[in-house]
Amino acid sequence: MADTLTVRTAGLVTVQDLGRVGRSRYGLPSNGAADQHSARVANVLCGNDDRAPLLEITALDFACVPSGDILIAVTGAPAHVTVEGVVRPQWEPVPVRAGETVRVTGIHRGLRVYLAVLGSFEAERLQGSCAPDTILGFGPPLRAGDELALRTACPPMDHPFSRIPLFRLNAPVPPFPTSWTIDVTDGPDRAEFGDTGRRLFDAPFTVTPRSNHIGLRLQGVVPRRVTKGEVLSRGVPIGAVEVPAGDELLVLHRGRGVTAGYPVLAVVTATGLSALGQVRPGQTIRFRHRTLDQAITAHRAQRHAIDALRTRVHTAFEALRIQHGPALKGRGELRTQPPPTRISH
Amino acid sequence: MSANVTITDCGDSALVAKAVGLDAEPAWRLVHALADALNAVQLTGVHDVVPTYDALLVEFDCATTDHATVRRVLAHEATRLGPHPEPTTPRRRFVVPVVYGGEYGPDLPEVAAQLGLSEGEIIALHSGTDLTVRCLGAPAGAPMTDGPPFPKPVPRLASPRTRVDAGSVAVAGRQAVICPMPSPGGWPLLGRTPVRVLDLHSDPITAYRPGDTFRFRPIEPQQWDEYTDLTLADLADSAVGHG
Repeated sequence: MADTLTVRTAGLVTVQDLGRVGRSRYGLPSNGAADQHSARVANVLCGNDDRAPLLEITALDFACVPSGDILIAVTGAPAHVTVEGVVRPQWEPVPVRAGETVRVTGIHRGLRVYLAVLGSFEAERLQGSCAPDTILGFGPPLRAGDELALRTACPPMDHPFSRIPLFRLNAPVPPFPTSWTIDVTDGPDRAEFGDTGRRLFDAPFTVTPRSNHIGLRLQGVVPRRVTKGEVLSRGVPIGAVEVPAGDELLVLHRGRGVTAGYPVLAVVTATGLSALGQVRPGQTIRFRHRTLDQAITAHRAQRHAIDALRTRVHTAFEALRIQHGPALKGRGELRTQPPPTRISH
Repeated sequence: MSANVTITDCGDSALVAKAVGLDAEPAWRLVHALADALNAVQLTGVHDVVPTYDALLVEFDCATTDHATVRRVLAHEATRLGPHPEPTTPRRRFVVPVVYGGEYGPDLPEVAAQLGLSEGEIIALHSGTDLTVRCLGAPAGAPMTDGPPFPKPVPRLASPRTRVDAGSVAVAGRQAVICPMPSPGGWPLLGRTPVRVLDLHSDPITAYRPGDTFRFRPIEPQQWDEYTDLTLADLADSAVGHG
């Protein structure tokens, strides 16, 4: 019988991946891990494909027990991670023996922790992805007692001088500050806000509790649209900064509806979106203006760091004769997925 | 660059191509044909295209491609297509039962007042013409159509609802929509259909495509239960001609 991972303390945890690709045209948002960088690194540390299913643990305590020996990696927000009561490092692969309890408690400074398992586990998919879609009601949070079927078992493995960390892979760890700086570039409708557009950078904004993976609502001195008129619904990018009404900014995140009718003042950068996926309600954000070149350079540097990590993981796993996934063939890049049915008119 | 399209940066991972100087119908055809063309090219790094009424959002991974590359291909395809790409597939027509007003369409009186019409006139206009699906949008693959021939645009609600029921039939500006799943929404609600809009076990989960038409048919509240086992796919006519 295949080994399983049993959830003991659920908190708020979902099965995630990097999101639903190629379905925006059908009106389905990407969704997927709110902090794509941390999620990607967790899978890479387990030798998995970047897009393999993993756990996204939000804010609350979590515990699980495998029925066989496994190797895990825990990334994302700082937390207290233990295996059978012994503190284990984040951002490194960690062996777990059959029956040992893995606990993630005290998540702080950031909001979300990612837990990947070597070989990953079975997950229900919708349109090619296991990412939850709360509007469709797909991918509900896990409950205590739920069992995930593991795809591979890892050979028993531990350091001969037990409890000294087995790996030193030096994964790229992003900062988790108490006050966040989020990079944005100009949006396509920047001109519609006239001089008030600068307010985005003048003072900090506070993240309100009415924030989630669909969008973050921020309080502060908001820019004002100076033009009037009806806007036809059109596609809006993840990261779009909008000013719907009232005294709140809306920043669209990965669960955003693919169309909207509000002008887009600015767009959060790819690296900024991963950081934004970690901001807790009540924390403050300062926006920083970047050029497209600066934003792209930062994103590519982050990806190159992951590619270099992938090579180190491969070398380490080969030396330890750990069989691992197909991630090392591809480099985790996105390619066009032709839609199953061609939409024409 | 093609004379009919402007291309604008939209953050570090997207571009927007907008049809310009064209009427609504050719503008819509152009952005959808452009989306098809871009899919056919299978450009590395481009992962999503969102053609709507007169605009096309192209999303890509800026680690593996860049704005200049995507922009060049878009401009090339726009020039190749010209201003009047032909429609290619047969259209389907969906006749959709709707209970108007009351708890089903709580904004019907307000919309009637804003447009200076009676509730009956609003219903007659909304259900009196075939409305063309222009795109699939938010939330959850909602069919977004042209608006009914109202005398003027319908304003959005001053305060959006935190929850709109599945099947709600709404209008805003010069657009109309059916809301497939419960979700927040700022569009005035005229009525609700008992028919299920999506089928999560199909791929795609939507039976309708841009270019199909919807015709709304008023029913009485007591007829609601006759339709609750149906999905939109069950209501599709066979092809009713090309283009």
